[in-house]
Amino acid sequence: MIELEEGIRKGLRIVPIVDKEIRQLVRDPKTILMVLLMPITVTILFGYGYGGKGAGKYPITVVNLDGGDGAFKFIQELRNSKMFQIKAIYKSKGQGFSSVYSGEVYASLIIPETFTEDLMRGRPTRVELYYDASNPTVAQMIMQAVGVVTQQFQEWAAARFGTFAITPMFYTVYGPEIKKIESFIPTLMAMILQMVPTSLISVSICREREKGTFEQFIMTPVSVFDIIFGKLAAYFLATISDAILSLFTAILLFDVKLKGTFLDMVIVSTVFLLNSLSLGLLISVFSRNQLQAYQASIFSFIIFMLFSGVFIPVDVLSSEAKLISSFVPMYYFVSAFRNVSLKGWDYLMVLDQLTVISMFTFAFLALSLRFLRMEVT
Amino acid sequence: MLKAQRLEEQPELAVEAKNLTKRFGKFVAVDHISLEIRRGENFGLLGPNGAGKTTTIRMITGVIKPSEGCVKVFGIDVAKERKKVLKYIGYMPQKFSLYEDLTVEENIRLYGRLQGLTGSLLKNRVKELLERFYLWEFRRRLAGKLSGGMKQRLALATALVHDPTLLILDEPTAGVDPPLRRKFWEHFRELNREGKTILVTTHYMDEAENCDRLALMNRGRIIAEGTPREIKRRALGGDLVEIVFEGDLDPAALPGVKSVMEDSSERYLLVVEDAGRDLPRIVKKAEELGAKILVASPMHVSLEEAFIRFMGESE
Ligand SMILES: Nc1ncnc2c1ncn2[C@@H]1O[C@H](COP(=O)(O)OP(=O)(O)OP(=O)(O)O)[C@@H](O)[C@H]1O
Ligand SMILES: [Mg+2]
Repeated sequence: MIELEEGIRKGLRIVPIVDKEIRQLVRDPKTILMVLLMPITVTILFGYGYGGKGAGKYPITVVNLDGGDGAFKFIQELRNSKMFQIKAIYKSKGQGFSSVYSGEVYASLIIPETFTEDLMRGRPTRVELYYDASNPTVAQMIMQAVGVVTQQFQEWAAARFGTFAITPMFYTVYGPEIKKIESFIPTLMAMILQMVPTSLISVSICREREKGTFEQFIMTPVSVFDIIFGKLAAYFLATISDAILSLFTAILLFDVKLKGTFLDMVIVSTVFLLNSLSLGLLISVFSRNQLQAYQASIFSFIIFMLFSGVFIPVDVLSSEAKLISSFVPMYYFVSAFRNVSLKGWDYLMVLDQLTVISMFTFAFLALSLRFLRMEVT
Repeated sequence: MLKAQRLEEQPELAVEAKNLTKRFGKFVAVDHISLEIRRGENFGLLGPNGAGKTTTIRMITGVIKPSEGCVKVFGIDVAKERKKVLKYIGYMPQKFSLYEDLTVEENIRLYGRLQGLTGSLLKNRVKELLERFYLWEFRRRLAGKLSGGMKQRLALATALVHDPTLLILDEPTAGVDPPLRRKFWEHFRELNREGKTILVTTHYMDEAENCDRLALMNRGRIIAEGTPREIKRRALGGDLVEIVFEGDLDPAALPGVKSVMEDSSERYLLVVEDAGRDLPRIVKKAEELGAKILVASPMHVSLEEAFIRFMGESE
């Protein structure tokens, strides 16, 4: 019998497990395809996915610098369009600007001083829309809606005063560099950090159960915890590398400029990644085989996507749907990561979201460890 | 290299199972069996499909929990201190349980590392096993791509990686070709000589002959136990001898004869209490009675025959 060094540190025991998991992962063409191709496919799909329609009203503010009848009529028109919920009407640009900056509303519409006068004299005039570009779907929608309202108003004004043009001017609040691809980064990260680790870990555990490989594995002095933490560590490494790689690809290929620091983005990603892994663990506990585990992972991913606010902003959802969103960890991640990457907040400013995500993580972990059996059946 | 094992206490029994029972729902797969496997012996567990051999073995290795009863391995209770026991056990499950997407070498290395081997110790051990089981040239092949017999070789090599003192092998030679089967058994013998204990199941009766002791299982119970010779004697109720003679003689009346199994004109198969003692007495008595004995020799009984008889009785 080989004298085993009793002093072997516990942590070292998971090294061979991590090594094994990564070898298996790299050797599986299906997972490689999923891990590497999914982010790209999703990027392309997302490019087409901009045209979706929100169901509810978008909260905006209006800055009425004009104060005249023309402005009053325009605001009336905005209300009538039923696409906006006007949260406040300000008298200064600064107020409007900060209402967007604080994230309170998606956009602020500014009616310039000379609006009524220009109208009456039949001069071309304009309205200005300052919108939050970090939420591209919404921004797109609001711009369209403002365009429609302006168009209708212009027809009305032309008939009355002979005004020949009201041009809506669009401005992004977070600097002119923000492009669609940038605002898409939080969604991309949410996808990578949710779908990849959840399906990888749940399928891997179910595969061991299906193939009976646990029967040999549990004959070694490693504990159930070593196995689980080995797998968690392996898939953590794989996913975080995938996420960082995708991030750098976007930065290098598409000239993406993010405001957040690398460290803050990694911290927020890590918190969410741990959540996805623990969800995967939970799925494996309740799945009979690899197929079930995979389907459950994809299903939860789709649900999460729908209610995370990446397609339809949570603010415009019905109150029932909002309630569902509040149980979706990805919702908190998307909002936190948006603030960190696009607005340049540090991780302390999104601590609330991170705390909620971690609470889900602990709940998933506790449930999994409670029900996970390594015994052979 | 590998140091000799030092178990603090040196209990006589490698495995001691008492009243071991396993129920799957209402079905009793293993029904209150007790087993004692002595240190250094080669113990064979035989029985038809579904007899409960694998279930018994899984309870001994602690892979499944018994519904009732307890198992001690080298005096250590498996239910209570499984961790302590594991390093002494090398287990080869009936179903191939290694990673098919890892290579031959990676599998052995992985289990070596999980058992705590590192550095040159690990490297040498892996190399030694690869060579010993003729796997060296396949070491870079994925385990899933091996033939059935090669998989068995790999599984055995992996079970031995930490040089265990108790080997538990569930049908190690299933799907292995005859020359290699012989090599396996030579190897088992060698391990026994080194003082290792082996618990093995098999459906090959010629292999079972090589065991020191056997237990015959059927429907979750042990229906016979002992050395191969004892088992055979018990199946017949004694030894089998053949006599051929000329003359008039009632073989049933000869001394020590318990029953007459077969007769064809002048050739008889007799069951006697003890061939060594009774054969000379039979010859003497027959000649006294005026018959001429042409042949009088002990007959070899196959284990298979004994096995089938026991099975028939227990039905
Ligand atoms: N997990 C399980 N659930 C339900 N029944 C089981 C389970 N495992 C084994 N059995 C049943 O227990 C009985 C004994 O099975 P076991 O595998 O121990 O037989 P065996 O002697 O090893 O047979 P074989 O020679 O075919 O390997 C069989 O009837 C089998 O169907
Ligand atoms: Mg079996």
